[in-house]
Amino acid sequence: MKIAVILRQVPDVVEELVIAESGRSLAEDEVTYITNEADEHALEQALILKARHGAKVSVLSVGGDEARDALATATAKGAEDAILVPMPFENRGDNHHLAALLTPEMKSAGYDLILTGLSAADQRDAGLAGLLAARLFLPYVGGLICVTLDPSGSVATVRKEFPGGRLGVLEVALPAVLGIQSAEQPPRYVPVSKVSQAKKALQPKVLSVPAPSVAGLPIQRLLKPEAAGKAEMVPGDVEQIADWIVRLLRERGIV
Amino acid sequence: MTAREVIVIAEHLGGELSDITLEMLACARDVARTIGWRVTCLILADDPEPFKALPLASDRILIVKDPVLGSFNPTAYIRVLIHMLKELSPQLILLGNTSVGMDLAGPLSIGLNVPVASGCVAIRAADGGLVVMSRLLGGKLQARTEVLKGTVIALLLPGNYSREVGMRDTLPTAEIRPSPEPLGALPVRFLELVEPKMEDIDVRKAAVLVAAGRGIQSKENLAAVEDLAEALGGAVCSTRPVVDQGWLPRSRQIGRSGMTVKPRLYLALGISGAPEHVEGMKDSELIVAVNTDPDAPIFDVAHYGTTVDLLDLVPVLTERIRNLRGG
Repeated sequence: MKIAVILRQVPDVVEELVIAESGRSLAEDEVTYITNEADEHALEQALILKARHGAKVSVLSVGGDEARDALATATAKGAEDAILVPMPFENRGDNHHLAALLTPEMKSAGYDLILTGLSAADQRDAGLAGLLAARLFLPYVGGLICVTLDPSGSVATVRKEFPGGRLGVLEVALPAVLGIQSAEQPPRYVPVSKVSQAKKALQPKVLSVPAPSVAGLPIQRLLKPEAAGKAEMVPGDVEQIADWIVRLLRERGIV
Repeated sequence: MTAREVIVIAEHLGGELSDITLEMLACARDVARTIGWRVTCLILADDPEPFKALPLASDRILIVKDPVLGSFNPTAYIRVLIHMLKELSPQLILLGNTSVGMDLAGPLSIGLNVPVASGCVAIRAADGGLVVMSRLLGGKLQARTEVLKGTVIALLLPGNYSREVGMRDTLPTAEIRPSPEPLGALPVRFLELVEPKMEDIDVRKAAVLVAAGRGIQSKENLAAVEDLAEALGGAVCSTRPVVDQGWLPRSRQIGRSGMTVKPRLYLALGISGAPEHVEGMKDSELIVAVNTDPDAPIFDVAHYGTTVDLLDLVPVLTERIRNLRGG
């Protein structure tokens, strides 16, 4: 059983997001990167499957230099193969481009299962997994919170989220591409010392293929949303805010 | 030349159209009426009966009927949709930015060779084409994209168009067809739909909800939030990351794939306000948001907001409420 996991470096939305002068992207120098959260869950799900079935996990990390750190963390967690996929800043968030770039590698490696996050924080087109599946002529199901494999390794049973907390149970013939929403358990913690060791030992294969001419829709303008409404911001310190909330709740008959 | 057309790919569950279908129809109608395009609601189902005579805001209802289409099977849907959409050749294909729509967008994009815009909050006709506004980066930014020619697939975020506008007084024409593609021997099988387990409380029934987001930082800090909820006579709920960490059961998750709630008070603590969370709580009667980031999108839906640290505020507020209630 060969499992591939795709990890993408995306802007950390907890940080301030600065729009570039062009008005069409973020200011490159101002971006703080993190590994896309749903992709971290995809890795965790792959490692769970590895423990259960003895699968071999390959990790493809997409981005700039920061993508190397994600590879080191992934190998420290238990992934065997590390593949670096350099991606220029201007093509980040374009899953059409990324899917076209990854297709030849995915085809030749012959993975039984390809896992990645359902969506990425910076994406503006369709999810990567569905695009990749279509290019590889493989089945795709996304929005998953659980993946189990039958003993023969030919079928996966997945749990897919539907609105209202409902879960659909589906069977998918392998090979397949799956879009993970969250793993069966929170992504595992790995000590910093272990990551440092992995960083020193890391010798990733670097994917060097010509950039495909495929691209998703270009953004004409990136802007702060015009909110239909805006909260009335209440000034003051903690004591004043607490008093104010109590007054509000009394006025509304809530307390 | 055939009329220009918007196709809404309907979502349904248990014989009822989902809210997002009506919202997509409202969006389609808004685009179509300004430029005279036609709107078709395309429904894939095993039983056309519940859908064939609905007063939808479309020019026609087109139902593709096959026993395999009784439950959502992405491979079956894609096979049928690629055939139908090639035949209909619309300018705009609307999908929900939902669990169903997101499974279809990628394969349809490759199969039809058309681009996709996800996270759409508004679509309008302009200069012979379409202008699409999408949310990205946790809802903190918005992208404007122009599609001047050809077809585009747009994934519409729930909660941006009125469901009422998706209906009208008259019945559109309805046409029922068998599947244009054989749907045997599919690599995906739908086995069953599992209803949520209500292991503890049903947050949909609580009048007061104290909601914890990523800003809560650790499981230990949840105890203070529980105390506040108890003092207010309410319940604790949360965003997805808190549930994913295993700090609260899945039945407490609010948003796209969790619960939709409309309490009298929704106290949002350390919640950024990503679109997938906002979908589940935006209709609450009173929303008070606490977040140290003044740019957090939660302040776009909250009625009142403060940027003090929730970990400082919660114990003080709990004490005030307890004093008030004489406890």
